[in-house]
Amino acid sequence: MQLKTTIECGAGASRAQGKIARRRLIAASCALLGATAARSQDATNSAADSLSDAWAFDSALAYYHESGRVKAIEPIVNMSKTYGDGRTFSGQVVFDSLSGSSPNGALTSTKVQTFASPSGKSLSAAPTTYTTSSGQLVSESAPIYTINPGQLPVDPSYHDQRLSVSGNWGLPITRLTQTQVGGKLSYEHDFVSVSANAGISRDFNEKNTTLSFQLNNEFDRLSPIGGAPVAASDYALFQKGGGKTKDGVGAMLGLTQVMNRRWLTEFNLSVDRFKGYLNDPYKIISVIDSAGDTTGYLYERRPGTRTRKVAYWENKAAWGRLVLDGSLRYMADSWHVRSDTAEFSVRWWNFDRDRYIEPTVRWYRQSAANFYTPWLDSTGSKYIDYASADARLAAFHAYTVGLKYGAKIEDSEDQTSSEFNVRVEYYQQTLDNRLAGPGSLQGLDLYPGLKAILVQVGYKF
Amino acid sequence: MPATNPAPDPALKLEERGADLLAVCFSAMASSCELLLPAADRGVALELGAVAAGEARRIEAKFSRYRDDSVVAEIHRSRGAGAGIELDPETASLLDFARECFELSGGLFDITSGVLRGAWKFDGSDRVPTAEAVAALLPLIGFDKLRWQSPRLWLPAGMELDFGGIGKEYAVDRAFHLVAAVREAPFLVNFGGDLRANRPTPRGPWQVGVERPDSDRQAAMVLELERGALTTSGDARRFLIKDGVRYGHILDPRSGWPVHAAPRSVTVAASTCTEAGLLSTLAMLQGAGAEAFLEDQGVMHWLLR
Repeated sequence: MQLKTTIECGAGASRAQGKIARRRLIAASCALLGATAARSQDATNSAADSLSDAWAFDSALAYYHESGRVKAIEPIVNMSKTYGDGRTFSGQVVFDSLSGSSPNGALTSTKVQTFASPSGKSLSAAPTTYTTSSGQLVSESAPIYTINPGQLPVDPSYHDQRLSVSGNWGLPITRLTQTQVGGKLSYEHDFVSVSANAGISRDFNEKNTTLSFQLNNEFDRLSPIGGAPVAASDYALFQKGGGKTKDGVGAMLGLTQVMNRRWLTEFNLSVDRFKGYLNDPYKIISVIDSAGDTTGYLYERRPGTRTRKVAYWENKAAWGRLVLDGSLRYMADSWHVRSDTAEFSVRWWNFDRDRYIEPTVRWYRQSAANFYTPWLDSTGSKYIDYASADARLAAFHAYTVGLKYGAKIEDSEDQTSSEFNVRVEYYQQTLDNRLAGPGSLQGLDLYPGLKAILVQVGYKF
Repeated sequence: MPATNPAPDPALKLEERGADLLAVCFSAMASSCELLLPAADRGVALELGAVAAGEARRIEAKFSRYRDDSVVAEIHRSRGAGAGIELDPETASLLDFARECFELSGGLFDITSGVLRGAWKFDGSDRVPTAEAVAALLPLIGFDKLRWQSPRLWLPAGMELDFGGIGKEYAVDRAFHLVAAVREAPFLVNFGGDLRANRPTPRGPWQVGVERPDSDRQAAMVLELERGALTTSGDARRFLIKDGVRYGHILDPRSGWPVHAAPRSVTVAASTCTEAGLLSTLAMLQGAGAEAFLEDQGVMHWLLR
């Protein structure tokens, strides 16, 4: 189609004879431009905001601090894009930097305890020589750290950085059916994880019901510093092999239902199974005699498979300027860990709907893995089937309280909006089923809980 | 003016578009902007580009809704003040223009309707606001609710002004005038698809491709423009879909809800960008009546459903 147009200011008026609106509009435009055309140019040249039209970015900087322990700084960038034909892409980049102290699994003692730091780069650099499980003589500067009586043994040189990149592509097949594939790569200096997922979802009932199914596959490679310890081996013997692997498969079935204009409910069932080297290569267990003295340490040993089943139910409801979100989660695994999570948040918008505050409470409890033990008894056999003193496998309960504040910044030209938000969370964990220690351990706090603060600053655009 | 502003602007990009056509590109008002100059010297092109970019950014800074130092922010801070606020001549003439548009469109075009953004987020999702949320905003909409006695404005509490609906077109016309004041030879100012040319190129009329609103960078048609302005309004990528119903981003300020059966895009030719932009926006707001409206106006137009 090719057309020519030649119009001068005011020329349209005669053609639009009788068309009041057009005449008035032309008059108004000419008045506006005539009035301002003579005005001289203002010297202010502001840097233009070149916001990307089609991409939405969501970035955040998180600061996580466990009381006396690990600090993490975690910049997150989320991206999403919706193409004209309905395809979608979303991606996330996270960079974690964790530093501080991490419990090594050993028990608090009345004596000074000395450990070699596997993760550490330095402390005192006393050269030691030892024989590996393969018979090689190895000499290295083993960083040593000492823990005073009454203190929980933590490796003070814990330092790790994690880069994780993930992407998800959505592709509509028909008006009601959508497929999705995604992948994730996570890299740490001693851990690499690659996973892929694929799923399909279908809308029913005039798009009020969505049923989805997804499969995941994950492959992990561990390359702990100094090699992965032989499970249940004596800490003093440095029996370490090379790298280890584990892999997992999982499936998830989801149902989303629009109950009415203000209420959305979502129900998910998932199952996954991991096999391979599931130990934490840096966690050990104290061996205690009847007097309460530590006679040695063993590396932990966990079963070679773990199967988890999770049920999750979430409800979202809008009520005036309030958005309520409540969820329940139940998890059971083949290590006999059972956990329950309940979470509730309320987002409260101001009248202009450009700012909100969102208080959150979360309550969590879990039972211990059937091989969890805070220590091993030296009078028993040194051979153990499975044992771990990792507090993450203990029975504990925890609560989180948080507050988020968000403010929208809107761009009138583009009808896009960006959001700035700050989130502060306080987490407190308390170990349950506290067994009193024998002999000298009585009176020591063997089960220190965990307190952590998370501060996150985010910007979405 | 170029002579007094010789410093090269690092945000300007000079591109050669085929034989003998220079484009000075920059971004402003969340759009790609360009000044097209056939048979121009590179130095002159950069100087004229700086003039156009400077004006675009001045208008953006002055009328931006999210800058604390903008006139709009100052107006919003004056809300509820007994003495109102005295506006500078440029802002006053824009407000006069906005009142004219409000009146001649029977309230369809309203620079106080920006508060609706509090309820509507056109992000391609299904988050359609509740009727209550939309209704709660309606008392804050209506140019007739504010008191405007040039140069003094009284803006009631809770209300907002948004020059977004006319700002870009106005900026094209302003930049056009500034460049035209120092250049006789042909040029075309294009701010994100709203454009204006002073005369045909030495090789004939300007060839203007108008994108289909629903596909990326695929020109649906090529228009030939000798002089004058072309603007396009559309709801291409800004919509919500819920229960199979598409909610376009053209909102009727009187109801607070999207206009039913709005065209996908409307392109209008007129002598100025301001006029063309108003006509294309008003046509969108007519919904199913867009064609009839444009026929009535006797205006050259191209419409996509």
